[in-house]
Amino acid sequence: MPEQDLKHAPSEMVARVNAAAAAGTAKVTYEGEHAFASETVRRYTLENGLKVLLLVDASAPVVSYFTWYGVGSRHERPGKTGLAHLFEHLMFNETENLKAGEFDRKLEENGAESNAATWVDWTYYYEALPADRLSLAIELESDRMSRLVLREPQVKSEKEVVANERRYRVDDDVEGAASELLYKLAFTKHPYQWPTNGWMADIEGFTPEDCELFYRTYYAPNNALVVIVGDIDEEKALGLLQTGYGAHKSAVIPPEDAQPEPPQTEERVLEVRKPTATDKFFVAYHGPALGDADHAVLTIMNEVLCGGRASRLHRALVIDAEIASEMRGWVGTFRDPGLYEVSASARAGHTAAELQDVIDAELAKLRNEVVTSDEIERAKARLELSVLQSLESTSGKAEQIGFYETVLGDPSAAFRRLEAYRRVTPSDVRRAARRYLAPNSRSIVRVFPDGEAPDEGDDENETDETDHEAAE
Amino acid sequence: MTIRIDSGGASVVYLEESHKIPLVSIVIALRTGNAHDPVGKDGLSRITARMLRRGAEGLDARTIEDAIDRLGGEMAVDTGASSVAIHAQVIRRSADAFMELLGRLLGTPTFPEDELERLKRETLAEIDETKDHDRSLAQQAFRRAMFGGHAYGRDGAGTVTTVRSITVGDAKAHFAKHFTKGNVVVGFAGDVTPEDAARFARMLTARLPEGAAVADDVGPPVTKGGRRLILVDKPERTQTQILIGMLGTWPHDPDHVALSVATSIFGGTFTSRLMREVRSKRGWSYGASARASIDRQRQSFSMWTFPAAEDAAPCIALELELLEAWVKDGITQEELDFIKGYLTRSHAFEIDTAPKRLHQSVDVELLRLPADYYTGYLDHVKAVSVDSANKAVRDRLRTIDLLVVVVGTADDILEPVTAAIPGLTSHAIVPFDAEILEAGPDPEG
Repeated sequence: MPEQDLKHAPSEMVARVNAAAAAGTAKVTYEGEHAFASETVRRYTLENGLKVLLLVDASAPVVSYFTWYGVGSRHERPGKTGLAHLFEHLMFNETENLKAGEFDRKLEENGAESNAATWVDWTYYYEALPADRLSLAIELESDRMSRLVLREPQVKSEKEVVANERRYRVDDDVEGAASELLYKLAFTKHPYQWPTNGWMADIEGFTPEDCELFYRTYYAPNNALVVIVGDIDEEKALGLLQTGYGAHKSAVIPPEDAQPEPPQTEERVLEVRKPTATDKFFVAYHGPALGDADHAVLTIMNEVLCGGRASRLHRALVIDAEIASEMRGWVGTFRDPGLYEVSASARAGHTAAELQDVIDAELAKLRNEVVTSDEIERAKARLELSVLQSLESTSGKAEQIGFYETVLGDPSAAFRRLEAYRRVTPSDVRRAARRYLAPNSRSIVRVFPDGEAPDEGDDENETDETDHEAAE
Repeated sequence: MTIRIDSGGASVVYLEESHKIPLVSIVIALRTGNAHDPVGKDGLSRITARMLRRGAEGLDARTIEDAIDRLGGEMAVDTGASSVAIHAQVIRRSADAFMELLGRLLGTPTFPEDELERLKRETLAEIDETKDHDRSLAQQAFRRAMFGGHAYGRDGAGTVTTVRSITVGDAKAHFAKHFTKGNVVVGFAGDVTPEDAARFARMLTARLPEGAAVADDVGPPVTKGGRRLILVDKPERTQTQILIGMLGTWPHDPDHVALSVATSIFGGTFTSRLMREVRSKRGWSYGASARASIDRQRQSFSMWTFPAAEDAAPCIALELELLEAWVKDGITQEELDFIKGYLTRSHAFEIDTAPKRLHQSVDVELLRLPADYYTGYLDHVKAVSVDSANKAVRDRLRTIDLLVVVVGTADDILEPVTAAIPGLTSHAIVPFDAEILEAGPDPEG
């Protein structure tokens, strides 16, 4: 090995970093590397359980720093829904070392930006910084991992902000509200039944004690993953990580208590009225987990059905029948089995029932006939384009790496999935459609404009949107 | 670094080369936008550009859509007041075939009657859909009230009446006038060499008619005086959408950068005055920001918040207090030092990908920005002083001529909101499902 390469060999770098570390600091271990297209992701761990994935990308003088915690709304319980999301907001507040507001101020004065996201399986925080400011992200993230201060005024104010976010995304948003109802309808046991935003009554009821307990339970190095992508000196980054996180103690992460969702054997339907101009239709079938081999097949099937202007449903609903203004489909990318969702918005003068008839007919075709090879090839090309687009920026790459590592334990799974897409055949799609698109295991939400009665003769329940009771 | 290349044609061509990912980004932009739609034909620019993928010589709409997908490509139309841009991306291995396809769409559009009628019906349905999105309603009403009959007050999508009136003849005439070599700007970013770019540009533009850039007759906007409230009335709103603003800046103003920097201090970051007071201290709104928009002529300065209905009035009162204090007392040296650090260091993220760098060059060309608008950005920001920033704010932002647009339920909020605006000179209630979200000729006083 040439001398220069030897100097940058991970084991050599780790040896130097550990030798320079203060006594009692968690040691760094090199765990191997993963091919990431033409680049390489290297995996390290700290002795306290913190996982680290690094990708050196010198194409721009910037660095993206993601911290993924293995906690999301699935780890909440009824009566305390929305806690993971509220907590994400609180993480931008006071620590033992920083007064309220200083976290953002320090980032901004260094030209950095930050944000965060919470979902069913995880929570992440990210900073985008000029490359020479990496140490700031490590300093701030390591600080708030263990020294957050949770006081009544901050919790109260942040509850207000979260309640407003909920109004924005759900209460005053037809699609947000319908999506929430759909999950509530489809899941009866699994925690995916409640929204990541949380029910409003639960948000209003949180106390600083709830937040403190949540923090001490889930925010620890052994429940976290740090992903760094950018123009960095890898050895220096490892040294900074060790200094920042090396004194953190690991925690005992409680075993998960998520109940598996029992098979759904009857169609469930909910009808609501909202201040909207036209009818909307939402349907969800129970789908595979992200790690299931069928997930790639269903993703191809969704592209054939709903992927863009040449897709079957766009043509059927928007172009040919002209009864919808828009439609979409999505295969849930969850650790446990999620939903396959299809939705459409009716044009004026058309009804949710008409939308459903067309969607049902197209889904029946998928079960009864094979899709064409050309449709499959188009779907594959669209998905390949989408993966390439996600790799254009350092933050895009860091997000892909962190997401797939957190959910599947494989930072390069995006490329594994591309390979899986390439193997999908028309008969695979028909098999998956038959397996997952069973009418008796679906859930439906129909939305009608205020003042408009649902079709006469419907014997399903009607409900105001605030009533979350499902009707089976 | 973006380069301007000679493709041997009359169109301006830019290239931002980057071979990290096998992806090619393409921009095909016109130097004219919805501000140049004929009177009574609002939405014509957008419809004409969208028609390009609905029929070309030997290709019907379905064949075109299938081909785009098969090649691993995508394309979308983005309409602004001063330009219309077709943004496309394609996997590198298909770039030649994709350019050939785009060249046919641009060079031999057929504007089939049945496709135009279908697109018009789609557009009308999309206009209906916007009624579900309160933020869009607020933006639409703000534009209408701020710019009145000026071209910047128009909706790019058009209105129900104007869209219905568009004919194949209109679209063909619009195409013939605007899609000429001299009126088109082309850009490539990504896995493309200069030789590729010149060849691709020729493939895209070879069949366009000759012709110079279309004259831009859009003049400076004027707005009504006084403090005005437009309440877009929508039932059952638990939350409001609020836009407060006035005429703002023009990129050629000598104090343009000074005003932009001061605006960043006021509402451009997470720790700005507006965010701190509205969200951090009071929790009233998930977001709170201010911006000074730019175009070829003077655009608007605006503040955006979305508090719960019961907080709407106090939030407006607070925003007005903050605005008055900012205009009267200005910014501090400490605030200026802070924002300069932020703007200069975060500049790396404005140019960290090839498409972003390309779009800066294309924007300079399309919006007729000063040549060093982006390349000299860091120097311009560094040159701003407390005095120049404060003078720019005082000179440009007239708080006595102020527009407040609120989307909410009038029965619940009209009274407290009108009381929260000192010196209110007029107010009007507009139903959210009105065809045009603007006050009638005689708003209530």
